[in-house]
This record gives sequence, C-alpha cells and structure tokens, in this order.
Amino acid sequence: MYNFDLVRPTSIDEAVAALGEEEAQPLGGGQTLIPTLKQRLAMPSKLVSLTAIAEMKGVCKTDDNALAIGGGTNHATVAQEAAADFPGLAHLAANIGDPAVRSRGTIGGSLANNDPSACYPAAALGTGATIKTNKREIAADDYFQGMFATALEEGEIITEVRLPIPEASNYQKFEQPASRFALVGVFVAKYADGVRVAVTGASNDGVFRWSEAEAALSSDFSAGAVDGLSTPDGSGMISDLHGSGDYRAHLVKVLTKRAVAAAS
Amino acid sequence: MDAFGKSQPVRRREDLRLLTGAGRYTDDTAPEGALYGYFLRAPVAHGRITGIDTEEAAASPGVRLILTARDLAEAGVTEGLFTVMVKNRDGSPGIAPRRPILAEDKVRFVGEPVALIVAETLDQAKDAAELVMLDIEDLPVHVEIAGAGDGGRDGDGAVESPVHVEAPDNLCVDFALGDEAATEAAFAEAAHVVTLEVPDHKIIANALEGRAFSAAWVDGRLHVTMSSQGVWTHKSQIAKVLGLPEDAVHVVTEDVGGGFGMKTMVYPEYFAIAQAARHLGGAVRWAAERGEGMLSDNMGRDLVSTASLAFDADLRITGYRVDTRFNLGAYASQFGPLMQTQLFSRVLTGVYDIPAAHLRSRAYFTNTCQVDAYRGAGRPEAIYVLERLMDRAARELGIAPDALRRRNFIPPEAFPYKTVGGETYDVGAFARVLDHGAAAADWDGFEARRAASEARGRLRGRGLCYYIEAILGAPDEGVRVAFEPDGGAAIYVGTQSNGQGHETVFAQFLSDQTGIPVERIRVVQGDSDLIASGGGTGGSRSVTVQTNVTLKAVAELVGAFRAFLAEEAGVTAEEVVFDDTHFRVAGTNATHSMLDVAEMARKAGRDDLLSVAAHDKLAARSFPNGCHLVEVEVDPETGTVTLDRYTVVDDFGNLINPMLVEGQVHGGIAQGVGQVLMERVVYDETGQLLTASFMDYAMPRANDLPFFHFETQPVPSTSNPMGMKGCGEAGTVGAMAAVANAVQDALWGQGVRQADMPFTPHRVWEMLAEARIAAG
Ligand SMILES: Cc1cc2nc3c(=O)[nH]c(=O)nc-3n(C[C@H](O)[C@H](O)[C@H](O)COP(=O)(O)OP(=O)(O)OC[C@H]3O[C@@H](n4cnc5c(N)ncnc54)[C@H](O)[C@@H]3O)c2cc1C
Repeated sequence: MYNFDLVRPTSIDEAVAALGEEEAQPLGGGQTLIPTLKQRLAMPSKLVSLTAIAEMKGVCKTDDNALAIGGGTNHATVAQEAAADFPGLAHLAANIGDPAVRSRGTIGGSLANNDPSACYPAAALGTGATIKTNKREIAADDYFQGMFATALEEGEIITEVRLPIPEASNYQKFEQPASRFALVGVFVAKYADGVRVAVTGASNDGVFRWSEAEAALSSDFSAGAVDGLSTPDGSGMISDLHGSGDYRAHLVKVLTKRAVAAAS
Repeated sequence: MDAFGKSQPVRRREDLRLLTGAGRYTDDTAPEGALYGYFLRAPVAHGRITGIDTEEAAASPGVRLILTARDLAEAGVTEGLFTVMVKNRDGSPGIAPRRPILAEDKVRFVGEPVALIVAETLDQAKDAAELVMLDIEDLPVHVEIAGAGDGGRDGDGAVESPVHVEAPDNLCVDFALGDEAATEAAFAEAAHVVTLEVPDHKIIANALEGRAFSAAWVDGRLHVTMSSQGVWTHKSQIAKVLGLPEDAVHVVTEDVGGGFGMKTMVYPEYFAIAQAARHLGGAVRWAAERGEGMLSDNMGRDLVSTASLAFDADLRITGYRVDTRFNLGAYASQFGPLMQTQLFSRVLTGVYDIPAAHLRSRAYFTNTCQVDAYRGAGRPEAIYVLERLMDRAARELGIAPDALRRRNFIPPEAFPYKTVGGETYDVGAFARVLDHGAAAADWDGFEARRAASEARGRLRGRGLCYYIEAILGAPDEGVRVAFEPDGGAAIYVGTQSNGQGHETVFAQFLSDQTGIPVERIRVVQGDSDLIASGGGTGGSRSVTVQTNVTLKAVAELVGAFRAFLAEEAGVTAEEVVFDDTHFRVAGTNATHSMLDVAEMARKAGRDDLLSVAAHDKLAARSFPNGCHLVEVEVDPETGTVTLDRYTVVDDFGNLINPMLVEGQVHGGIAQGVGQVLMERVVYDETGQLLTASFMDYAMPRANDLPFFHFETQPVPSTSNPMGMKGCGEAGTVGAMAAVANAVQDALWGQGVRQADMPFTPHRVWEMLAEARIAAG
C-alpha cells in the first residue's frame, strides 16, 4: 500500500474536522478498505479511523420500536444484541464473512461502501431504515443509488442506522461459492402496514425492492403468494462467472419464497 | 520384530511447532537485511515487447538493481528453463521452445515475469515497478487449445501469430501409446461400444504457503532458502544457469506449507533472484503474494478426452481408446508434457482386464499459465476418464455400475498382471475391497434414501469410482544415520516433508527398528550441504522409498556394531545378537542399547562407526487402489450439490502410521472434491485471469465435506520389503470420478446426459434447465 497518515479521533466532531482535509477518508473496520489499499487501488493521504468513537457504537431499541445501531458497531455485536428484538437482522449479521470479519467490519462501513453483493443494504432497504449521518437523516429509499453509489457526500459519515423492527422477517443469502458474499440475498420484512422485499447481489443497479412481491405478500404473506409471480427480468441482472442474469433472477424468486417460509 | 515394525497412530511431533507459529517457512527465514525482490509481470496475454525503459524506476528511492532479459544476457545468464519433452508418435521429438527467465521479445501469458526490481523495502520495489515503462504491441491471444474454439487448426496449418513460431499450429507434441491396430480390431468386432467426452478443467494448487525464495551471496557461494519439494534439482539447475560449480550452490528447504506437485519445478523467478544476489554480492528475498501465485504457479489438469470402450456380448471389455487434447500453457513446463502422455498411461486401463488399448494425446500451447503436476499428475486424469466412462457404459448397457466393474476386474489369480500400458501390477484384490466398500456405504440401502430425498424435493445420486494409482518419483533414495555428540541420533533423509508428517514417521520408524528412543532422534531434511542427493516429495513416494533404504542402513549399522562388540568382548560376531532394541553378548549378562554402543565406539576412537549411509532402489512400483462410494443431494431449485455420504476403502498395503494415512486421504478427497464441485480457473477471451483471488476462485472448506468413512483392506505389495503402497495422492484420484458420477446419477432422471464438472450451483441449474427445454 501507499503511505498515509492515520488519526483516531474519539468524537464525531473531531472525525468530521479531520475529514475536512484534502484526500482524507474514513476507516471503519477496514475489511474492504484495507484490502483495497494493499492492492494499491486507492491512495488516501489520511485515514480517519472511526473505531475509537464511543458515541458511534452499540445497539439499542428506540421508543418507536426501531433498532438503533451506531455506525461503528461491528457485525458480531449486532448478531448478538439484535437477537432478541430482531432475529432476522441478527441472523444476517451472524452470516457475514467469518469471525474475524465480523469482529472488525461495521454496519456503517458496509452501508457506505454499498457493495452490490453486501448483506446490510438488503436489511436497510428491506426495513425502510433511516441512515443518520453527521449532517442529516436519509431514508433508505433515497440512500442507495446503484453499485457502490450512495447519497453520502464527501466527508459525510454514517453515525447511526435506525431499522424499524418488523413483525416477522428473514434474510436468505445464497452464497457465491468463492467469496461467500451474497450471489443473491433477499430480505423480507412484514409490518402492520405491509411487506417489504429487498434484493441484494442480483441487480446491475445494486440493492432494489421487488415491488411485485411486496404487493403480493402484503395481501397474502405466504410462500404460495410468491409462486404466482413471474420471475423478475434477468436482463438487468449481474452476469458473471458465478451466475448468469437469468440464474440470479430465478434465485430472487426462490429465495423470496424461502424467506417468507422462514420468517419469524 | 519383523521388518515392517509397528503400525501405530503416533501423533505428529511437528504439529506443536507448526500450529504455534514456530514453523520455519522460507519467508520467515530470509537472511537478515535481505533486499526485497519484486517482479513486474506481463499485463497482457500475448504481445511483442517494443520497449522497456527502466531509467526512472532505477532512480527511485531505495532501488538497488533492476534486471531485464537484456541485463541477464549481459551478465552471461542466457540459459532458458528446461523441460522433459516426450516424443511424437512418429518418433520425432516434441517442440520445446525456449522459455526465458525474463520475457525477451514477447510476453506469452498474463503474469509472465518481465523485470525484477530489487529495493530496500518491498514498497519501494513496488513503487519503482510502477515507473517502468513497458511497451507492448498486442498480438492475437490463444486462450483455448487449438481446434477447441479460437479458430486455430489442428496440425494441418498455421494459426495467426502462434504462441511460438516453432509450433506454427500451437501443437507441441502428438503422443501415442498402445497397440492401435489391435484396438481398432477390438472395436470392429465389438458387440457394444460406449463413447463419452470427458473434460477435466484447469485448477490452481493454492498451497497455504506460497512459493518463496531467498538467495545470499557469501564468499563466493550462493546460499538459497526456498519452499520446494526437494532441493537437489534446484541446486543443479541454479548452478548450471548461473554458470557456477555445483559446490558453490547451497540450497535449503525447511518447513513447507504444501506443494501438491506445484513446488517440484524450477521457476524463472528463482534464477532472477539468485542472479540479483550474486550481482549485488548480498541477499535478496522474494515471496509470491497470493494473487501473484494464482497468476504464475503451475496449474493442474486442463484436458478434454474422448474415450470409448468396446465390449463383447458378455459385457467384458475388449478394447479401450482415448483421444486427449491437453493444455501446456504458454511454455512446456518442467514436466508439463509428461502429464497426459506417459504419466496418464501408467494407469490407462485402471483395474480392468483390458486386452487392447490405445492412447493418443496431443499437447498445445496457449497464452495461459503453464500446467504441470498437480496431486496425482496424470493418474487422476486417466482414472477420471475411465471411471466416468465405466459409469456411462453401465447405464447404456443396462447393468449396475458395481456389477460391470466386478465383471471386468483383473482377478486375484492374474497377478502379477502386465497392463497394455506397460506396467506390471504386483498384487490386488479389487472385488474384496469393493465388497467392503459396498457394505460400509450401505450401497444397497440407496433406493430408500433416494426416496426420502425425493420426498423433500431433492435429487439424490450415488457414484462409485474404483481407482488405481502408480507410485512415481525416483525409485531410489538415500539415508544416513549419525550418532551425535549429545548422545542422540540423527537421520538424514532425501525426501522432503511438505507438511505430511515425515518427521514423525521417519523418527518413529528408526526408533522401531533400533530401539533408539524417538525423542533422541532428530530428522534432518532439505539441506544440500548436509545431504548430497535425494528424490524429494512427489508421486506418493516418500515413505516407501525412505523406509526401504532406512532398513538397509539399520542392517549395516547392526552388523558393524555387532562386530565392534564382538571385538571388545573377544567373541565372534555371531555371538552378539540384536533384538531390535538391545545387543546381547553370548555368555554374559551384558546388554547394550544402540546409543550405548555408539558411546562405546566414540570412546574407543571408532568414529567410523558413528555414521552409516545407504542408498537403495525399489525393485518395482507399488499400486495403491481402492473404492470411493459417494452420495450427493442436489437442490433442483438452486442447483446446489451437497455431499451427503462418503465411504472409502483403500488398499495401501501395510501402514506405518494409520492416522497419518487417513489424514492424507481426507486431504486428498478435499482436493478432488474441490475440483469437482467448485474450483476452476477462468480466463477471459483476452487472456486475463478472472479467478485471480479467493473472491472468485473457490476453495473447498471443512463445511463442504461430510464425515468420511475410511477403512483399509491391505494386500501387501511385493515390490518393497515392508509391503507398503503410497497414499498421498490416492484420495484425489478416487474422489473426482466418484463425486462426478454421483452428480450425474442425481441428474440422469431429469434428462441430463452430459454432466461435466465443476458442479457449481449455476452450472447444475443450467444443466437441469437445458434438459427441461430439450424434453420440451
Ligand atoms: C473475507 C470477507 C468476507 C466478507 N463477507 C461479507 C459478506 O458475506 N457479506 C457482507 O455484506 N460483507 C462481507 N464482507 C465485507 C464486510 O462486511 C465489511 O464490514 C464491509 O465491507 C465494510 O465495513 P468496514 O467497517 O470494514 O469498512 P471499511 O473497509 O473500513 O470501509 C469501507 C468504505 O466505507 C467507508 N466508511 C467506513 N465507515 C464509514 C462510516 N461510518 N461512514 C461513512 N463511510 C464509512 C470507508 O471510507 C470506505 O470507503 C466481507 C469482508 C471480508 C474481508
């Protein structure tokens, strides 16, 4: 990797100030950024580590029945602390990468990166989460803007993610055989006012909501309701050596059914 | 005690060291202060080098040296890498084009070394590499073997810009073996003929420890430390290419984290680093990063075969014919041409009594990384073809797959049996081994399990492979046993552990034969100054050759010690007996251990008794064999294949350490399963490697594998005094066809007629989808 300076502020304000400098970049758990640096694919002059900021860590339940997760909270903590209130999310977090990745990688880093095969984007979009930054609150529906693209501005950091707790939910991840990221992942969440279905791994446009399934499931929350739907169009889906667009489209439907059947 | 000694599941003495980070791998042992080497590699698959400008790079901070092909030539280092070439069927030699250390006029695959940058730190070397101006004029890229899709033709004319001008149609060698006329006659008269095309795709070895090499020039000698499968070929090649006397080169290999064949060969990087060290008069280190290894480590397999079996009316095989095309990569690597020719032919006809067979095998150059030995080296490939075809034949002929095999097994009374491929199998009891396998696997209970799977919406299939292996590598080996000043003993071996547990086995064996406590025995390997020659590890040879020669050394030692004791006691040598732990002198109560006698000899000034060396050659090869019985479940909705049941019964002859044998089988199966279910190399049409990291290259993991049922049914080999057979590659040889046949079985009922590995979920789903479409 190329040389860089590293700072470890202990408050959000200090971090924001440090990020104001030219070519500074936030560093979460480093599970994406460090490999990128090792391959010399990025050249930040300063990394602002977010790991020492206590106010960005932890999981708690809010008065309006949402789970509030600090942007610097690692996956292992979410797996443990969301288990009682939001098992669908805990299960998702528990199946990201391996123990080392889960102990380092953070929800903020994952959402900021918005890898088209990452798991958290499905949960954030599938719950209609609110992404809180040092500047503003962004609705998940506005936040995701395509592969690796988000509404975040330069120097803006995710401080918290609020996910409304569903009545029932489940995440079905079909692993890409090598990376074990999601070849396709489907997050289904049932709320009193309807069902949300978010799909990761599949589309060339990144995470998306499968609106036909949402409509069908909102009136009949059963795997059978998905059966009647036609498979999403594969032409806009990712096609690579691990799976064609048609295969991914097919998996979207299979996994949605399985998620509904497994939702708790 | 008999020559074989005790068969004991002794725990590995090296594991504490290896598991607690105390292993001495090459990159851990680089000389203090060594400079770092970094290779600039070809960014395109095929092109003419029109310029290499290193001026700016050379001036970059920390840079001490940059070597290109021109610099090597100026230093007189002009030799290319060597290959063991085979002959064409007309007797003429195959084409072995020059393989330079650093690319000269052309680059021929992505990852080919072009320049070596040596700097004080690795980052400085990488910084400088970015400043090298490399101009390349692109040439047409050949990714597929000629005749297989890139417009290349086959032996009848030139292709556009071939990989080498010497091979105008990219064909390296057109090899044949067997009796073609007799085979054709068998097919002409056959009652049934079954034919199958069998692809066997390209994979990467991915040793846990990558290739690594360091060299230090000290007082006119070159000291090399490297990760290898044996130091001696490397030593003589480095001496030859650098123009040094052999005794000016010292090569050491300590702990090795896996080789699998891939670390046998000499690679271009080694000569470049060695030359840099000599030129600078200092030390230079290099360790391949993972992606670098994936681009440039010799790969495995990569062939397509069309195979046919001829049967008589009783379903006995009368003839076998194989036509194989295989990929060598951009150059003929050290043993590359041998793989699907001579080595393939060793077990061409497997365990069957086949009166006529013919193999034709053509090797091609492509703009991809070299292919060479990979766990089994030609034998897994041959058995995969034959056992896939046997399975297909059973289906087409309407007979159970095990029954067809039994009908054609070489019967026990036919041994020694000379195959049409030219091998002589010493012993075998294939039907008995299969009986045990079928019983342990509950082969007959399959239909009930299939019904249960079906009820859950899953497709169940079962597969069988009966494999045979031929132990390869050098049939001879040396050993030296020395008594050390501290009162212990050392055994110097010519084999090289790559993690298999040699230290444990060789110390245990010597202890069993001599009574020297195992903790007083030091195993010394991989140092060309201490051990003059050796065959290294490869071909499942190590334990058989090393224990064989150790027996000889022990016999000499016992003879010499008896004579010495007799002289001391004033009796005849016959009056001194050795009972595997102690010497007893007739007429006295005196008993002496080996170490006692060594001490007496030392005190008596008889230093000549303190070291004994022996060299011996095995009379013949041994042939491990066995059956793998596998059941898989396929999820037809996703294409996911799950290995559900796995049974292996092997005939490895006598076992020295059953626990380590089982470990070899487990690892071997994992490697076979890896290829069958997930591993594969993918190049795009421009020759860029798409599977250049573990993000895209899938390796098998523990949770991909079920628990294995493993047992052995030993039929001791008559080719070595211990009755042993090797076990290092067998697991891989058996696993491939067994798992593939099981997947084919699961898919057959859905109309899938051509099921080829790797069985990734996507590919299996597509096979099912295509079969559905074909069925209308
Ligand atoms: C072996 C392996 C397996 C993995 N498997 C999976 C998987 O199965 N599923 C999955 O979803 N992910 C997987 N990941 C990715 C992992 O989840 C990481 O957590 C994630 O990529 C990024 O989180 P991070 O905290 O490590 O971010 P970093 O790597 O530190 O940063 C990533 C990017 O986000 C920015 N950033 C970091 N934190 C913030 C913040 N709070 N606000 C704004 N910007 C920020 C950084 O500047 C950088 O651009 C895997 C990673 C590895 C190494």
